[in-house]
Amino acid sequence: MPQLSQNECEADVKFGPDGLARVVLKGRLSARSVVECWNSLEQELRRAQIKTLKVDVSAVDFCGGAGFALLRYLNMGKMTPGAAVSVVGLAAGFQTIFEGFTAQDYDAFHPRDQGKSHPLIDETGRAARQLIGDLRDQVDFLGGVAANLPPSLVNPKRMRWPEVRHVFELAGANAVPIVSLVSLLLGFIIAFESAQRLADFGAQIYVANTITVVMVREMGPLMTAILLAGRSASAFAAEIGTMKVNEELNALETLGLSPIRFLVVPRIVAGVLVAPLLTCYSILMGVVGGALVMLGLGFSLMLILHQMALSVHLGDLAVGIEKSVVFGIIVSGVGCWRGLQTQQGPSAVGLSTTRAVVTSLLLIIMADACFSTISYFLK
Amino acid sequence: MNEPDDIVISVNDLSIGYGERVILEKVNFRVRRGEIFVILGESGCGKSTLMKTMIGLNPPQSGEVWIEGGNLVTAEGEERLRLLRKFGVMYQSGALFGSMTVLENVRLPLDEFTELPEQLKELAALAKLKLVGLGGAANKMPSELSGGMQKRAAIARAMVMDPGILFLDEPSAGLDPITSAGIDLLVSGLARHFGITFVIVSHELASIYAVADRVIMVDCSAKGIIAEGKPAELRDGAADPWVHRFFNREADPSHSVQPT
Repeated sequence: MPQLSQNECEADVKFGPDGLARVVLKGRLSARSVVECWNSLEQELRRAQIKTLKVDVSAVDFCGGAGFALLRYLNMGKMTPGAAVSVVGLAAGFQTIFEGFTAQDYDAFHPRDQGKSHPLIDETGRAARQLIGDLRDQVDFLGGVAANLPPSLVNPKRMRWPEVRHVFELAGANAVPIVSLVSLLLGFIIAFESAQRLADFGAQIYVANTITVVMVREMGPLMTAILLAGRSASAFAAEIGTMKVNEELNALETLGLSPIRFLVVPRIVAGVLVAPLLTCYSILMGVVGGALVMLGLGFSLMLILHQMALSVHLGDLAVGIEKSVVFGIIVSGVGCWRGLQTQQGPSAVGLSTTRAVVTSLLLIIMADACFSTISYFLK
Repeated sequence: MNEPDDIVISVNDLSIGYGERVILEKVNFRVRRGEIFVILGESGCGKSTLMKTMIGLNPPQSGEVWIEGGNLVTAEGEERLRLLRKFGVMYQSGALFGSMTVLENVRLPLDEFTELPEQLKELAALAKLKLVGLGGAANKMPSELSGGMQKRAAIARAMVMDPGILFLDEPSAGLDPITSAGIDLLVSGLARHFGITFVIVSHELASIYAVADRVIMVDCSAKGIIAEGKPAELRDGAADPWVHRFFNREADPSHSVQPT
């Protein structure tokens, strides 16, 4: 008879009279080897009419978790319904473990119902409760910022300027490459799209006006805010959320330091400073992109610059800057607020980050719509 | 490499560190089959880094780690996978996957690496959980477990494929004495019943005295092993004053605040 290798097991089934069957298991019953025995036992035992099954494991060298599982499965009569099954010959140590894992343990286990759906009314109620909780949190947060921001601005010693500088660098200086690329390409796109339409009227020169007005009043501030929401709001939420999970916020509280003053105020100040600067840079890059397209269309640089200077006024630039300040407050405030809301659990920080970006984008668009409406009626 | 049959891990001239910084230099030791082997040392002296190097997570600066006849440092592809299957690892935090139930965590390796039928996978995972005393926690999420329970669940996951070697990183750290003693009992029981070889990183003296067959002590300033032997021998007869202080839990006089 061939020797079993170190990682093999073998099942030998013999049938006797009166529905008697005997299974002899040999070798190593480990997670990797048990499947072979399982397959042969399934084939032989399932099709037989067995009243009494005796499982002899005296030739088993090792019995791991899968081995115990197989023995208990046989013992519960799952392969031989209705049969009386006994397992004999297990080494003393393994026998103790086998007896410790009973059929009752298996029966007591019921998989967690993960796909349970909730009725619509439940979902609506839950969403409403969350919305009200969010509003309460927002008021709390705004109150905290209102109480901490002015004293920090009035008394510069209360402000953590190194933190402001650090955030300014991360959110601002490090964002310059992506803002450059996106704004330049945006200028390209707007210029090409408008050039096709204006060519029908022989008015391609007005591409310069279009690109300047659109970038200064709308796309410059909006694109910068969207990029800031994606880069910085998410980073603020993740950073503060991780600090909350690690109990660093509790440590601040017990040291008598307000997390709002310590963490939120520097970020909001940095956000308010960085957003207008990035917006101005974005406008510049967008206009450069548009100018490059116009140069390609055959217009002279002097003509392009002249048209651009004619098309915008200082008031337009002021609108763009005002928007960017508000967007900066939204992005940094929402990032910090969502970070402070972080709950416990492995997905909590990820959830806060997602919420920070989504809420920022929503509020940016809403604020932009308000700006447009107000500016229309004020004109 | 030819080693006696009872040697399962052989660490030869192993140097580890980060970048230019060397933490341990030319370390040599052997782990025998079925023994509970403990790596000791003060905090920050490279115990966990040594373990991570032994399990192939950190590439060493130089040297070899032989596990069951294969050099994990140079192994690649299928050979590396074959060696990785020889051992299980329990990380200090448990490192259970937070989005899965405890049972799903434990049966994950069975799902990925075996052809076992569904019922058997479930039964095998339940059997392991029962073995570590978590039979009733199968449906819970890791966040619902205490620190000690998470470590037990992590041990169940590490041993679900029936590896011959288990690496445990600080199994008793942060646990109360009763839970810690429970983990010690579990380790001794698993070593006795299943013949598993344990490599444990720890600095919990009570646990070391309770379970360790043999210990090595690593030291930052010496950048190597400064003591090796049975815990009781090192407690009672260590020549090195630092080792004596460590095993007898005596403070370093130069670090203590003198009472007025």
